[in-house]
Amino acid sequence: MKLRLRLALTAMAAVLPVVVAMAYFQQSLRERSQEEVLEAATLARVQVERSRCEASPETWRPRPSERGAPPPRRGEDGRPPPPRAPGGDDDGRPPPPRSPRGDDDGRPPAPRSSDEGAEGRPPRQGGPRGDDGARPRAFMDGPDARGRAGSSTPSGLGPSFFEDGRPSPGEGDGPGNGGRVPARVEHFPYDARFVSLNPRAPALSEEMKAAALDGTVVRRFEQDGRRMLEVLLRMPWEGGPCAFILARREEPPSPSLLSLPPLKDWSLLVSTVVASVVLALGPVVRRIRMLTEDVRASARSGYEQPVAVRGRDEIADLARAFQEARAEIQARMAHQEAREQGLRDFLANTTHDVMTPLTVLQGHLSAMQQRVGRGERVAASEVASAMSEAHYMASLVHNLAAATRLEAGAPHVQRSPVDLNDVVGRVLGRHQPIARQQRISLESGVPAVPVRVLGDVTLIEQAVSNVVGNGVRYGREEGHVAVVLESTREGRFHLRVIDDGPGIPEDERTRLLARGMRGNAARTRAPEGQGLGLHIAHDVAQAHGWALTLSPSEYGGLEVCFSGEVLSDAVPVSRA
Amino acid sequence: MGERILLVEDDARLGAQIVEHLKGAGFEAEWWTEGRMLLPGELPDVGLVVLDLMLPGTYGLDMLKALRFFSEVPVLILSARNDTLDKVRALKLGADDYLTKPFWPEELIERVRARLRRPVLQRPEAVLELGPLRVDFQGREVRVEGRVVELTRVEFEVLAALARRPREAVTRQWLVEHVLDPEREGTERTLDVHVSRLRRKLSPAQCVETVWGVGYRLVAGDGS
Repeated sequence: MKLRLRLALTAMAAVLPVVVAMAYFQQSLRERSQEEVLEAATLARVQVERSRCEASPETWRPRPSERGAPPPRRGEDGRPPPPRAPGGDDDGRPPPPRSPRGDDDGRPPAPRSSDEGAEGRPPRQGGPRGDDGARPRAFMDGPDARGRAGSSTPSGLGPSFFEDGRPSPGEGDGPGNGGRVPARVEHFPYDARFVSLNPRAPALSEEMKAAALDGTVVRRFEQDGRRMLEVLLRMPWEGGPCAFILARREEPPSPSLLSLPPLKDWSLLVSTVVASVVLALGPVVRRIRMLTEDVRASARSGYEQPVAVRGRDEIADLARAFQEARAEIQARMAHQEAREQGLRDFLANTTHDVMTPLTVLQGHLSAMQQRVGRGERVAASEVASAMSEAHYMASLVHNLAAATRLEAGAPHVQRSPVDLNDVVGRVLGRHQPIARQQRISLESGVPAVPVRVLGDVTLIEQAVSNVVGNGVRYGREEGHVAVVLESTREGRFHLRVIDDGPGIPEDERTRLLARGMRGNAARTRAPEGQGLGLHIAHDVAQAHGWALTLSPSEYGGLEVCFSGEVLSDAVPVSRA
Repeated sequence: MGERILLVEDDARLGAQIVEHLKGAGFEAEWWTEGRMLLPGELPDVGLVVLDLMLPGTYGLDMLKALRFFSEVPVLILSARNDTLDKVRALKLGADDYLTKPFWPEELIERVRARLRRPVLQRPEAVLELGPLRVDFQGREVRVEGRVVELTRVEFEVLAALARRPREAVTRQWLVEHVLDPEREGTERTLDVHVSRLRRKLSPAQCVETVWGVGYRLVAGDGS
C-alpha cells in the first residue's frame, strides 16, 4: 500500500510539471503566432496602402483595417472567399503605381539620396527589387518564402513583396492559427525619426525607437483591463511619413492560462498515469509481500526453510540475496555449533585427563597421610610418584592450551626472537626436580653463543618440554636424558633429546607423528602415553617450519631431533 | 649468600611457600602482597625481585615498567598465564626471566641463583681456578695442586675449551669441530682418546666429567 501510494504520488509529481510546461509552451507559441500574424498582416497592408498612407499620414487608416484586417491575416481563410476580391484587387493594384512613387517619395526625405538614386532609378518597375537590394538577406530567403506565401495570396507580385520585407517570414501557419477571433487593429504611421503626423499616435519610448531601428518591436501591456499587443515595424522602404508603422491590437480574450480547457485534459492524463502505475504495481507488491513472508518463515525455521526465488527481475535478485545470506548464516551457525561441540569435547577430555592423575595423586597423598598417622616412614618413591603425577597434570594442562592454540591456526602462533639456550635451561629446570626424584640424570649441552630462532616461545618451550618430560617420565631408574643444542655453519640448529629409555617401536613412531592424529587417540596415556606430547611437538615444529624426527638413540632409547633455521644476528636479542 | 630478595605475590599460601623456600635456600626474603607503583627510593635494597603479574593494586607489568626507570635490579616474573605475548612484553619491558605456574620450588631457587650468579660468570678471565686445577689461558700453563702439567697442544685446547665454560657441558661435536685439527682425522673417537689422556695427566684431580649424551664438563672434582 505504501509502495503504491508513493509511486502514485511520484507519477503525479512527474506528470504535473510536464503539463505545466506544455501549457506554458502552448501559451508562448500562441503569443508568438499572434505577434507574427499582426506583423505580417500589417506589413502586407501597409505595403499595399503605402501611397495612401504617405498621402495623408495624419488621418491614414488602412482601408481594410475595419473589414479587411482579418482576411489577409489568415491568408488561407481569406483566400477561399474570393468575394472579397477587392482585397485581392487592392493587393494587385497598388504595386505598379506604388513602386515608382514610393521611390520618388521616399527619396526626398531620406538624407541618403545617392543610395536611393542608384537603386531607385534604373529598375523602375522593379522598385521593390531595389529594396531587395538593400536587404539581400531577404532576397535569399525569397524563393522559399515566396513559394509559401504565394499560395496564400492570389497576386503573384504582392506576396513576394511583403514576404521579402519580412526578414523572418517563416511561419506560414502563424496566420492560420493566430487570428481565429477577429480583433480590431489600429495602425499609426511614423516617419524615420519616429514622429507621427497622426495626432492619435502614441508617443514612443526611446527604448522602442532604438529597438525599432534594428527590427520589429513587440510589446504587450494592459490598458483598461484589456490586454494589448503592439508591434512596431520598419517598412521595407526608407523615409517618408510611413517609415515605421505601429500596429496595436487588442488581444483576444485569451483561452490563455491553463485554467479552463487543460484542466480536464491533464486531470484525465494524470489519473490515467496514476491508475496505470497503481495497477501495474499490483503484482510487484504482491511478490514483495510473498518474499517478505518467505523470509520471515525462513527466519522462524532457524533458516532451515529456503526462500523461493521466482522470476528473473530485481525481486528475484533480492530473493537470491536472501538465499545467499541464509546460506551464510547457516554456514556460520554450523561453524559455531562445531566450535561449541569442539569446546565441549575439549572440556570433557581435559576434565577426564586431569581427573585421572589427580585421583592418583590423591591416592598417594592419602597413603602418605595414613603412614604418617601410623608413625611409619613415608617411602621416597611414593613421594616421587605423587610429584610425578602433579607434574604430569601441569604439563597436560599446558599441552591442552597449546593444542587449542595450534588448532586455532596461524594467527595464534606468535613470532618473536627466541633464545633456545634459555629454552633448554628452563625446560631442564622444570623437569629436574622430577628427574632427581626418579634418579634420572638430566643433562644439557648448549653452545656458548645463544642460538636464536624466530617463533612462539611458549609453544617451543612446550614442545621441547614434552619430549624431555616423556624421557623423564618413561625413563628407567638410573637412566639418562640429555638435551643437546647445536648450530651448524649453514645457519641451522639441531636440538636433540636423547634417552636410554625403552624407546618407541618404529611403526609406533610413524603413527605418533602421523598427521591428523588428534583428540582422544592421541591423548591416551597407555601404553606409552606419549601421544599428546609428541603430537604437539610435531605440530609446533610444523608451525615453525621445522623438521621433527624420531629415531632410536645410540644408547638404545629414543632420539628426538628438532631442526630448523637459526635467526640471523640482525634481529635484536630477546632472551625468551 | 644471604642476598635479599623482594617477592611480590598476592596469593597468601603460595607467597608463604616461596618465602619459606627462599629462606631455606639461604636468602633473605621481603614479601609484598600487592602491587605498588614504585618511585625511586621506594625499592628496598634487594638483589633480585620476584614479581607476580596478576596483582591487586598495580599490575605487575606496570610495576616492572616503573621499576626500570630507576633500577637495573634483576626481575624474575611469575605468571599463571602461559601466554607468549605476556612473556615477550615482560622481556621487552626489561624482565630478566620468567617462570610459569605451576613450578617446583627447586626450579624457582635454581632460577634465582642463576640470575644472581650470571654477571660474575660473564667476565672473561685470564686464569681459571677450579678446585685443585689452575688454568692460565695466556701462558698456556696448567697446574694441578700447584704442580705443572705438561699437555699437548690438542689436550690443552680441549681443557681450555672446557675451562672457558666451567660447570657447563660442552658437546663433543663442538669440541671436535673447534679443537681438533681439521687437517687430521677428527672424530669423536679421537676426541675421546685425547680426553682420556688428558684425564690421566690431570689425575689425581677428577675434573673432566663425562656428561651422558652430551660431552664433557669441567668440574671442581671434589663432588660439588
